[in-house]
Amino acid sequence: MDVLFQIIASGLTLGAVYAISTVGLALVFGAMSMLNMSHGALMALGGYMAWFTLTGLGLPPALGVLVAVGVCAAVGALIYLLIARPMLGAEGFETRIFIATIGFGAVMESAILMAFGPQPKPQPLAVQGGIGLGGVHLPVQNLLILGLSMALMLALGLFLQKSRIGMAIRATAQNRDAARLMGVRIGGVYALVLAISGGLAAISGITVSSLSSLLPNMGGDPMLKAFIICVVAGLGRVPGSVVAALFIGLFEAAVQYTIGVRFSFALLLLLVIVVLIWKPQGVFGRHQGVRL
Amino acid sequence: MPDDLVVSHLTAGYGHQTVLHDLSLRVEAGQLTALIGPNGHGKTTLLRAISGLIPAKSGEIRLGETRISGLGAAAVVARGIVHVPQGDLLFPDMTVLENLRMGAFLPAAGRREKAALDEVFSLLPKLRDRQTQIARTLSGGERRMVGIGRGLMASGRVLMLDEPSLGLAPIVIEQIYEVISGLRQAGRSLLLVEENAMRAAGIADRVHLLDHGTLAWSGTGTQLSGRPELLETYLGV
Amino acid sequence: MTAMRRDLLLCGLFAAAALAWPMVSGLRYSVTQTTFFFIWATVVVQWNLVFGISGIFSLAQVALFAIGAYVTAMLGYYLGTSMLLAMPAGAVVAVIASIALGLACLRLYGPYVALLTLCVSQVLYVLIVNDTDCFTHPPAGCMPLMGGVRGFSRFGDLGFRDWLGSGFYIGNYYVGLALLTAAILFSILIIHSPMGLAFRALRDNPVYAAARGVDRFRYQLWIFGLSAFFTGLAGAFYAVNTGVVGPVVFSFPHLLFLLSMIVVGGVGTVWGPVIGAVVLMVADELMRELGDFRDIGMGLILVGCVVLMPKGLSGLFQSLSARLAGPAASAAEKAK
Repeated sequence: MDVLFQIIASGLTLGAVYAISTVGLALVFGAMSMLNMSHGALMALGGYMAWFTLTGLGLPPALGVLVAVGVCAAVGALIYLLIARPMLGAEGFETRIFIATIGFGAVMESAILMAFGPQPKPQPLAVQGGIGLGGVHLPVQNLLILGLSMALMLALGLFLQKSRIGMAIRATAQNRDAARLMGVRIGGVYALVLAISGGLAAISGITVSSLSSLLPNMGGDPMLKAFIICVVAGLGRVPGSVVAALFIGLFEAAVQYTIGVRFSFALLLLLVIVVLIWKPQGVFGRHQGVRL
Repeated sequence: MPDDLVVSHLTAGYGHQTVLHDLSLRVEAGQLTALIGPNGHGKTTLLRAISGLIPAKSGEIRLGETRISGLGAAAVVARGIVHVPQGDLLFPDMTVLENLRMGAFLPAAGRREKAALDEVFSLLPKLRDRQTQIARTLSGGERRMVGIGRGLMASGRVLMLDEPSLGLAPIVIEQIYEVISGLRQAGRSLLLVEENAMRAAGIADRVHLLDHGTLAWSGTGTQLSGRPELLETYLGV
Repeated sequence: MTAMRRDLLLCGLFAAAALAWPMVSGLRYSVTQTTFFFIWATVVVQWNLVFGISGIFSLAQVALFAIGAYVTAMLGYYLGTSMLLAMPAGAVVAVIASIALGLACLRLYGPYVALLTLCVSQVLYVLIVNDTDCFTHPPAGCMPLMGGVRGFSRFGDLGFRDWLGSGFYIGNYYVGLALLTAAILFSILIIHSPMGLAFRALRDNPVYAAARGVDRFRYQLWIFGLSAFFTGLAGAFYAVNTGVVGPVVFSFPHLLFLLSMIVVGGVGTVWGPVIGAVVLMVADELMRELGDFRDIGMGLILVGCVVLMPKGLSGLFQSLSARLAGPAASAAEKAK
């Protein structure tokens, strides 16, 4: 019984970490059919910025997080301006942007490696201690991550549903031409969506590194898993991807406790392939015609 | 005094393909202007060029004194030219109300959103009952109404309607045309693309016939009714 | 048919020039580097068939390459199999793996294929690196089934050492040349074959092609499987040539390097990938001095090429030659 609780507790934490990244990726894909393969490097950048501002500059934690989020959001907008914008609407956009962001991610990762070195660093933004709950040990850090992630998702959901800019983002995702005819400047929406995704990547990077440690290539695996979750949910489905993230987190935790950490990624992939053979558009996906 | 929409020497198309060749025409303020002509001869392309969805290759488009060609779609809407596209292009996962509110997205229109919404509901009463329904689940006729209502929400100076009767049942077409003639009586500047030339002739102040991307004939609705040979030549009616 | 003759002629000229190269260049380094070029060019020429011709956005080529390398090394290491047998065996296993992978993901939508195939590489990498259970106990200590972090070494060679002594690398050079020549010939045959035409039809007008009974999935599976043979063989030869196989062949920088070749050269043509391989090998060589900046340089080359030169160098040559041939030719090009 205790094992079950342990699995649920760590599974939800994992899922919460994934959800932050997944939602950012889904938002970008939904709005502009772009798979941002530099998301993992953005996560690393966010994690290292937090380390740098806290340990290097001695800023208070809240300010450090803010700087990390701001820097990653700016880099996200820069990805739009320098890489995505020149090829928007051109033939093969989805393939080209995929490859270009792989390259950009590699550049960022190498830059981080040069700036901070290859040795793992501890993330200073980790909270020690834990709560005992009926024989189950719950680290405060995990609870914090779960709460933070859920609060972020709620805020993002409200923003997308209620605010004028959120409406514009949804409109762009659902029908680009129609959004333009309503007066939405879709270039601005694209830049904004990539900036939001960048900011979320920073938070995701901080949480991931607080559970393990900082490494220049720390974002690679979580990014691929976040993409897998996006695929399971149906690319671009924002609310669905949160549900899928929590589910995949639980699945991974269960595999880790029962079979072993080594096989969790492989089984995850197997699960995705099975899901896609069953539902090629993803669980929450709908077949859509050609998206222009 | 509202302004005329003037298209002069416009050449436009998609990629290497040119659809409109050196086209000039005028949409007079406060009138209903209809575009007729065979399918694939540039009616929709003209609307897309006016609203800035596709760029003009040469020539220009003006609204009164303001040059609007080259501005980009968002800026064109801000100048008051509203395009209700063919096939509705609704936001499928939004509710009817959200779709309508998107029509008043720009700040100027947003300030009178409430009044515009009342106006739309009084013109298209069916939408009032469907406010919370997701657009994807609407019938064809209801979608068309949302599309037109969304265009009206922008409170623009020129409303361009691309084939508002396409694919609808006769009874729904009648309802839609009632709305259009109401708008005409209210003195709105309207540019209407219509496949059915006789229906266009019956309602329009002025009719332009597009053929191979150029203006083949121009006249009043009444004049068109008296020229059956025109329809035979160009439309095979 | 003339285009095919031209490509065959070019292929012959290339092979003849390459045959003479070790005699012209006395430097051992330039010969061994050219051997590596043969290996990478083989991989990207086949990748081009998958990506550029049949339109499968697969990132599995590196994994298939690695499978070829690992199977060869493991057969040699555990069973003492002759490399002459182990290499084709590695290629066949790569084909089997690619068909299994193809059945699982070729029906999916483009970016899904890229993501899933990338994940397959990553999963194999993680499985190998994190394997610490000892399968055998060689004198050095512990050997996991798949070699673990260190990988395999001393699993055999093609016998050139006994035969040519210290000049063994020249033997490897010619094997590499034969491999690449075969891979290019195969690519030329496919591109100019009815299958290649069918793919062009699918690309230009999918609905019409489907109506004429062109079964995209079946053709894609064929190309995916066939190209995996040469990819796996290239991996097998890589294992024999370097004498070491480790998880690094699965790694992301490796994928990046090969992906850059295909993007810089330009997909969809016979010679684009070969040009790309030459350019990237030279660029890699030039940036060797730059140390840590080398990876940044590689990434920037990739990004710059995708953004500024979407059709790659071969596309650039084509539009340049069209411009030089006069306005009539360029008009004809446009009309097409």
